[in-house]
Amino acid sequence: MHMKKYLVKCLHRLQKGPGYTYKELLVWYCNNTNTHGPKRIICEGPKKKAMWFLITLLFTSLVCWQWSVFIKTYLSWEVSVSLSVGFKTMDFPAVTICNASPFQYSKVKHLLQDLDELMEAVLERILAPEQSYSNATRTLNFTIWNDTPLVLIDERNPHHPVVLDLFGDVHNGSASSSPAPGRTCTAQGCKVAMRLCSLNGTVCTFRNFTSATQAVTEWYLLQATNIFSQVPTHELVEMGYPAERLILACLFGPEPCSYRNFTSIFQPDYGNCYIFNWGMTEKALPSANPGAEFGLKLILDIGQEDYVPFLTSTAGARLLLHEQRSYPFIKDEGIYAMSGTETSIGVLVDKLERKGEPYSQCTMNGSDVPVQNLYSDYNTTYSIQACIRSCFQEHMIQNCSCGHYLYPLPHGERYCNNREFPDWAYCYSHLSMSVAQRETCINMCKESCNDTQYKMTISMADWPSEASEDWIFHVLSQERDQSTNITLSRKGVVKLNIYFQEFNYRTIEESAANNIVWLLSNLGGQFGFWMGGSVLCLIEFGEIVIDFVWITIIKLVAFAKSLRQKRVQARYAGPPPTVAELVEAHTNFGFQPDVARPGPEPGTYPDEQTLPIPGTPPPNYDSLRLQPLDVIESDSEGDAI
Amino acid sequence: MAPGEKIKAKIKKNLPVRGPQAPTIKELMRWYCLNTNTHVHFQKLDFPAVTICNINPYKYSVVRDLLADLEQETRVALKTLYGFPENTSRKRREAESWNSAWEGTRPKFLKLVPLMAFSQDETGEVRDFLTGRKRKFSGRIIHKASDAMDVHASKEVVGFQLCSNDTSHCALYTFSSGVNAIQEWYQLHYMNIMAQVPLEKKINMSYSAEELLVTCLFDGVSCDARNFTLLHHPMYGNCYTFNNRKNETILSTSMGGSEYGLQVILYINEEEYNPFLVSSSGAKVIVHRQDEYPFIEDVGTEIEPAMATSIGMHLTESFKLSEPYSQCTEDGSDVPISNIYNAAYSLQICLHSCFQTKMVEKCGCAQYNQPLPPAANYCNYQQHPNWMYCYYELHQAFVREELGCQAVCREACSFKEWTLTTSLAQWPSVVSEKWLLPILTWDQGQQIKKKLNKTDLAKLLIFYKDLNQRSIMESPANSIEMLLSNFGGQLGLWMSCSVVCVIEIFEVFFIDFFSIIARRQWQKAKEWWARRHAPPGPQGQDNPGLDIDDDLPTFTSALRLPPAPGTQVPGTPPPRYNTLRLERAFSSQLTDTQVPPES
Repeated sequence: MHMKKYLVKCLHRLQKGPGYTYKELLVWYCNNTNTHGPKRIICEGPKKKAMWFLITLLFTSLVCWQWSVFIKTYLSWEVSVSLSVGFKTMDFPAVTICNASPFQYSKVKHLLQDLDELMEAVLERILAPEQSYSNATRTLNFTIWNDTPLVLIDERNPHHPVVLDLFGDVHNGSASSSPAPGRTCTAQGCKVAMRLCSLNGTVCTFRNFTSATQAVTEWYLLQATNIFSQVPTHELVEMGYPAERLILACLFGPEPCSYRNFTSIFQPDYGNCYIFNWGMTEKALPSANPGAEFGLKLILDIGQEDYVPFLTSTAGARLLLHEQRSYPFIKDEGIYAMSGTETSIGVLVDKLERKGEPYSQCTMNGSDVPVQNLYSDYNTTYSIQACIRSCFQEHMIQNCSCGHYLYPLPHGERYCNNREFPDWAYCYSHLSMSVAQRETCINMCKESCNDTQYKMTISMADWPSEASEDWIFHVLSQERDQSTNITLSRKGVVKLNIYFQEFNYRTIEESAANNIVWLLSNLGGQFGFWMGGSVLCLIEFGEIVIDFVWITIIKLVAFAKSLRQKRVQARYAGPPPTVAELVEAHTNFGFQPDVARPGPEPGTYPDEQTLPIPGTPPPNYDSLRLQPLDVIESDSEGDAI
Repeated sequence: MAPGEKIKAKIKKNLPVRGPQAPTIKELMRWYCLNTNTHVHFQKLDFPAVTICNINPYKYSVVRDLLADLEQETRVALKTLYGFPENTSRKRREAESWNSAWEGTRPKFLKLVPLMAFSQDETGEVRDFLTGRKRKFSGRIIHKASDAMDVHASKEVVGFQLCSNDTSHCALYTFSSGVNAIQEWYQLHYMNIMAQVPLEKKINMSYSAEELLVTCLFDGVSCDARNFTLLHHPMYGNCYTFNNRKNETILSTSMGGSEYGLQVILYINEEEYNPFLVSSSGAKVIVHRQDEYPFIEDVGTEIEPAMATSIGMHLTESFKLSEPYSQCTEDGSDVPISNIYNAAYSLQICLHSCFQTKMVEKCGCAQYNQPLPPAANYCNYQQHPNWMYCYYELHQAFVREELGCQAVCREACSFKEWTLTTSLAQWPSVVSEKWLLPILTWDQGQQIKKKLNKTDLAKLLIFYKDLNQRSIMESPANSIEMLLSNFGGQLGLWMSCSVVCVIEIFEVFFIDFFSIIARRQWQKAKEWWARRHAPPGPQGQDNPGLDIDDDLPTFTSALRLPPAPGTQVPGTPPPRYNTLRLERAFSSQLTDTQVPPES
C-alpha cells in the first residue's frame, strides 16, 4: 500500500499534466510535442485522424530507416582519399646495391670444393650416364650427399615408378638393383627429385621437380646454405664483395661521393650490400631538382668472372630504392641492372598514408603485432615483410629447433646445419610448403600505415659506347688497382643513374569519409525534413516512455493487490458462489440465488419460469452499489476520469 | 590429475581443430583464434593469368612449303628493288633473266597486289617492278605513313596497289621505307594463305607447350606444360596461358618476391623464325585477368633472349560507378555489339568485335587477326579476290572513327590492372653458362635435337612485388539520403519546417479549402434542388387542422385526451452516480495529495 502511494506520488511529481492512463498520456503527448504530425492526429475528425496517423507512422518509419542507413554508413568506417601530385624538395631515397652473387668464388672455393665436385659429378651422371662408370675413381665427399640425395624417378611405367639413386652403384648397391636400364632414361621418362629424410632416414619424402635444372639448383642451394650457416658472419662478410671493389665511381648531384658514403649490411641472399643515404647515422640527403644531373650516378663492377658458378645463374647488380631507416628486402622488391649497360631510373615517390583503427587494419610502428621483429637489431622501422620473415623464423625454430640461414636469428638460437640438425631440410621443406603456416603469419602481421613506394621508370642504353670503351676501362681499372693493364670488361661494369622525375611525389592520404559531425547533421536533417523534429523531441519521447513505464508499474501493483484481495475474500465460509451468482450479484440487487430448486425438469420451460416482470425495474447501475471505500479507491485509480 | 591439467585435456579433446604446433594451451587458443577468424582481411592475392607467346608464330621449317611461293616472290622483289642479296654487279642481268623465267611459273602474289616503286616528285609515274616498265597511275595515293610526316621528296618510295572489285577504283599505299612496305605486303599475303589452313594444322605447325617451356616453377613448386592452356593466336601462333581458370582453381600468392612468383625458362629457337614476318626475336608476355582476352599484339611485354626479365607487379583494381554517374558498362550486355571473343567484355574486345562485324558486313568476309563471327569465314583470294582493298578502306574509316565503333563502345566499369616494373639482367652468367646449358638441353630432351645456345633461351620471372593492393573505387558524392537530409537541415534552420508542414499547407490550402467550397456549393445546390423539386403545397399551408408538433405524439396527445389532473408519473429518483462522488474524492486527494486513511 505504501509502495503504491509512493509510486503515485512519484508519478504526480513527474508530470503534473498528462494524466493517469495510457490514453491520456498519449493525448497529452500528441498535444504538446514539438514533433510535427502527432498534434494533428488528435485534433481532427476521424478520417483525417486516420490519415494523419498513417502519415505520421510512415514518416517515423522513413526517419528510422534513413537513420539506420546513416548509422550503418558511419560504422562502415569508410575513408576518402586525397591525392596530391607535384614536385618538392624531398629526401633522396635510400639506395641499396648488391651483387647478384653473394660471394667471390675465389674466396669461398675452399668451402665449396667438395660440393662443387659433387655437383659436377651429379651433372655428369644426369647428362651422360654411360660414361659415369669410367671416372668413378674420383674421390667424392659422400657425407654431404647422403643427407639429401638427388634421385631419378623413372616414370615410364606410371603405376610402378622406379627410384634410382644417382650414385647408387658407387657407394652402395642397395638402391639400384638393375642400374643399367634405368641409367639411360631421358627427361621424358625420368624426373629428378630430391629425397628429404627425417628420423635417421626412416621417414622420407621426395620433392619432385619437372626439370633437372631446378632440381640441381635447389639441391645446390640447400647444400650451400648448410655450409654457409656454419661459418661465422664476419668471415662471410670478408668473402663477399668489398665496397671498394664493387663501387667504382659515385656522384650525387654535383658532389662526388665514394664507397665510404655507403653503409654496409650483410644479407645472406646477396652477401655484402651497400646502402646509400640510409639516414641511420647522419641526416638524409635531400634532392631539390628533378633530372639526371641532380641524382645519383654510380659505376659498379660486378666481376662476373668471380661468380659462384652453381649458386647464381643470373648476372647483374641488384638494386632497391627504399625509405630511410627501413630494411632493404632486396630479394623481393629489388630490380636488376644489367652489366654493360647504363640504366636510368626516374623515381616517383608514391606515398600512402592510411588511417589506423578502426578504418583499416594497419599498424603505426608494429608494436601491436604479436610477432617479435627480428630485424629490429638493424634499428629499422616496421614493415610487413620483416614481420612475415620473423614469423617464419619463429615457426622454424619451434618446429625444427633451428633457425634458417636466410633469416635473422633470435638470441640464443642457432642456424640449421646437417651436422647438428640432421632433419632440418625435411622439416624446412615441409614448413615452407605449408599453407597453414603462411596463413598464420599473414594473419598475424599487419600492414604498416605509412607505406612509401618508389615508382621507377627504367630505361637502358649500352654503356660504354664502342668509341669510349677503351679509355673508360683504362681509367677505371687504374683507379681501382693502380695497374696499367685493363682489368675491367663490358661483362662487369654497370652504370646507374637514379634521379627524381619532374613530378616526384604522389601522396595518397586517407581521411575519414564520415565523421561524427556528418552523422549528426544528417540524422538531424532527416528528422527535421520528415517530421520537423530535433533532439528535444527525442527527449520528450523519452519522457513519455518513462511515464508509460510508471503507469505500467502502478497498474501492475494495483493488479497484484486486487489479486491479493480476491484471495482474502475467498476465505469466507460457505460454499464458493457460482459464476452465475457472481454475475448476478454484481448486477442485480434484488437477486436471490435460487439454490437447488428441485423443479420438474428444469430447463424445459425456461420462459415460464423467468417471465419478465412488467414495469421498469430500478436502474441497476453498478456504481450505485455501495462498496467498501478501499475497492472504490482502487477502481478510481485504475480507470477514473 | 590437477584441475589445470584436466581442463587442458578437456579443451584439447573438445576443440574441433587441433593446432599442429601447439604445445601449450595459450598457443593452442591463439592458433584456434587465428585459424578460425574468417573476417580478418586476407592479404592473399590472386595471381593473374600470364600468357606467353613466341614472337614467331609457326616453325618455319614446317610452314615453309605453304609459303614457298610467297618467299620466292619476296626475295625476287627484294632483289629487284634493293639488290638483295648484295651482288650488285649481276643485279640487272639476274633480274632480266628472272623476268624471262617467269614465263613458266606465274607470279600470282605480285600480280594480285603488285609492289611498285615510284618517285615522289613526279606523281602519276609508277614503275611496276614486275614488268619493269613505267606506266601512268591514275588513282588515289594513300600514304601509309601519316600525312603529317614529311617524307623525303626526292626519295623513291615503294608501295602497293589495291583495287576494288571492278578495278576502276584503285588505291596506292606507299611507305617511306621499303622495310615497312615489304613487311606489310608480305603480311597481307601471309594472312591470305594462313586463312585457308585449318586450325588443327596450324596448332600442329606451331610450338608445343613442352617445347616452349623448358622449366617452370611457381611459388617454389614445379609446374609443367599441363599448367598451361593453349590459346591459338592468328599472328602469334600457339600462346600458352598460365593460371587460366579453365582447368583448376585460381592460384594465389601469399608472399611477395621473385621466388614466390612464376619462373619460366623459354625456348625461343631463333632458327625457326620466319624472316619476313617477324624481324625481332624473343617472346611476348601479357598479364591479364583470367576471363580477359589477351590482346598480345596490342599490349604485351617483350622478352629478350639470353636475358632474365624480371617483372614485378602491383595490382590496382578500379571500380567505376555506372549510369548515371558515368558512361561505363558492367558486363557489356547493354552495348549493341555482339562479343565475338570468348571472354569477358572490355573496350578492346568491343572495338575489335565492332570492326570485325563491319568487315563481314561490308567485305563479306572476316579479317584473319580476329575471331570469326558466326556464319562468316576468313578472307582469302579464292573467294574474295578484292578483300584487301575493302579491308584497307574500312580500316582507314575505322581509324578516322567513321564506323561509329568508338562512339558505341563503352569502357568497362571494373577492371584490374597490373603495373609492371621490368628489369633485365644477363642470364646465364658467364661462369654458370657452362653447366646450365647442357642440363637445360637434357631437360628439353627429345623436343629438340641440337645443343641449346644461350640465345635460344629466355628466363622470365613474374611476381608480386608486395601484397599491397590498391583499389580505386568511385562512390557517389551525394546520395538521395544526403540530399534529403540537407533539405531538411536547410528547411529546419531557416523555416523550422518539415514535410509535415508542407503536407499541412497542402491540406489546408487545397483539401480543406476545396472541401469547404465544395460543401458550400453542395448545400447551395441541395437548397436549389429542394426549392425546385418541392413546389409549395397549397393544402399544407391552408389546412388549419395541421398541427405541427415537434414532439412525437404521446399516448395522451394522440388520443387528444386532456391530461389527467394530479396524476404524477412516478419518476425515477435522481441517480447517485458513483462518479460524482469519486470526483470529489479525487479532487480532495489532489489538493493535499494525501490519501485519507482507509477504513
